[in-house]
Amino acid sequence: MERQTKKLRELLKKPELLKAPGVVDAIGARLVANAGFDAIYMTGAGTAASRLGWPDVGLLTMSEMVDNAQRIAEASGLPLIADADTGYGGPLNVRRTIQSYERAGVAAVHIEDQQWPKRCGHLEGKTLISADQMAANIRAACDARIDADFMIIARTDAIAVEGFERALERAKIYEEAGADMVFVEAPRTMEQLNAIPAALSVPALFNMAASGKTPFLSASEIQNLGFKLVIYPNFVLLSAIPVMQRVLLELRAGGSIKDLASQATSFTDFFDLLGMDEVKALEARYSVDDKSRVGY
Amino acid sequence: MKRATALRKQLSAPGMLIAPGAYDGITAKLIEQAGFPLVYMTGAGTSASLGYPDYGLVTMTEMVANAEIITRAISIPLISDADTGYGNELNVTRTVREFESRDLAGIHIEDQVSPKRCGHLDNKEIETLDKFLSKIRAAVAARANPDFLIIARTDSRASLGFDEAIRRGNAALEAGADMIFIEAPQTMEEVRAIPKKIHGPCLLNVVQGGKTPVIRLKDAEEMGYKIAILPGLLLRAAVQAFDQALDSVKTHHVAPDYLNNTSPQQNFRRFGADEWDAIRSKFALEDKG
Repeated sequence: MERQTKKLRELLKKPELLKAPGVVDAIGARLVANAGFDAIYMTGAGTAASRLGWPDVGLLTMSEMVDNAQRIAEASGLPLIADADTGYGGPLNVRRTIQSYERAGVAAVHIEDQQWPKRCGHLEGKTLISADQMAANIRAACDARIDADFMIIARTDAIAVEGFERALERAKIYEEAGADMVFVEAPRTMEQLNAIPAALSVPALFNMAASGKTPFLSASEIQNLGFKLVIYPNFVLLSAIPVMQRVLLELRAGGSIKDLASQATSFTDFFDLLGMDEVKALEARYSVDDKSRVGY
Repeated sequence: MKRATALRKQLSAPGMLIAPGAYDGITAKLIEQAGFPLVYMTGAGTSASLGYPDYGLVTMTEMVANAEIITRAISIPLISDADTGYGNELNVTRTVREFESRDLAGIHIEDQVSPKRCGHLDNKEIETLDKFLSKIRAAVAARANPDFLIIARTDSRASLGFDEAIRRGNAALEAGADMIFIEAPQTMEEVRAIPKKIHGPCLLNVVQGGKTPVIRLKDAEEMGYKIAILPGLLLRAAVQAFDQALDSVKTHHVAPDYLNNTSPQQNFRRFGADEWDAIRSKFALEDKG
């Protein structure tokens, strides 16, 4: 089987923008794969929400993030770009972090220059480590990978803290330190968005966040700015929330189950989504007797 | 009874509790069987058992998972190393909840900048007292059972001096800590002065070959310490025994003689074979044969 790391590198060589919707679990992973995307993203904010029910303020451990990433990588079968927060410490921690994500089957991670505990890049009150410390983390990350195609994406959160010019300087320092791709977090204007890919010699990542701090742009607009990869961290999760809330309200109010069922994904579609075909194929291959085979 | 409450009862009696360090189910069971009242989970030992030095590489998840293994293996109370609490007051809140929900009796949280390192290594970085006190207050507020012991550890002796370490200890007590752990005092005078200068219960860390002179436990009790932990006791003893056994096989192509003195069944009995056998006979189908 082709390595996901190599697949991601090849996808990024294509002229068109690579789109990676963010998910928090294996169901989301199946949905993205079924929808025909070539790559997938694991959101840290969404993972914190899904596993703890808490906002993204640096409460998840590396162990929990890697565990989640492994499930998404397996269930999607796609190259997975995963949030790895700050790398969870200094160069020694970063080394362990990279090796853990790589073993989990992830194709790329982004690590950022916030101080631990970090917070969502679109929240206020961020603090940074020095550019030197971050460069050391990037070098440690690059050294740590076993598969040279595993991608290290350097993220800078500096715009909100030190201003746009300094953020670009940091981006270049991280590129120099060996990052394969750069992610300048939370740019606010079209002018800034234009300047980012132009200033870099490695590909740039566009974070199409739902926060509204970065202008909402279409994929072709993003591509025209010169970005190579766009992540949509929380759109799938946030879109599901109003639907779930409506269902809960109707259940509490004693609404019609028949109506709710008619609007929801059917039981069989749900299992089909989760790979019922694969289960059946495996049963046939290993000659499970007819009476014992799964069916609807 | 929650084991945090059991530990409070033990602590309310006069005298000092001795807690050897465990890093897995084997060491935990042996400590309990030897008749100690309390087990300590060592972070250094936990790191080592995962194949890492004590350089702050182990995550809170891994520490809690190990604590859960240990506490499940024994029925006496367990207190654990919780390093820096793994971040700020929010992380500390989560850390306390995670450890407490595994029925631990308490944890210690220190004022090193993360990633931390072993308290007896050089070049430790210390966070501000304000940050440390926020974590202690958060820890106290996060526990569900007020008996869950919050032990404030300061690593400031090395870089900020003994007086500052005492000041931090007393400030942590005022912030609500139940016990103070001054890490790595450097002379016998300092060891003796700590329980006098700290206005509350104190924990002594007994580290062979570390920065603190080796002290007789009887003397520590007379000085007024309430808990003495011996984190490396079993790990170091095990490493020596392992090395000898391995060397015997490698050099002489035979396992050491003394291993022939116990049967596999005798070994299993150290790890609960009797209890499991009793369950087996209670629920086994009657033999119709």
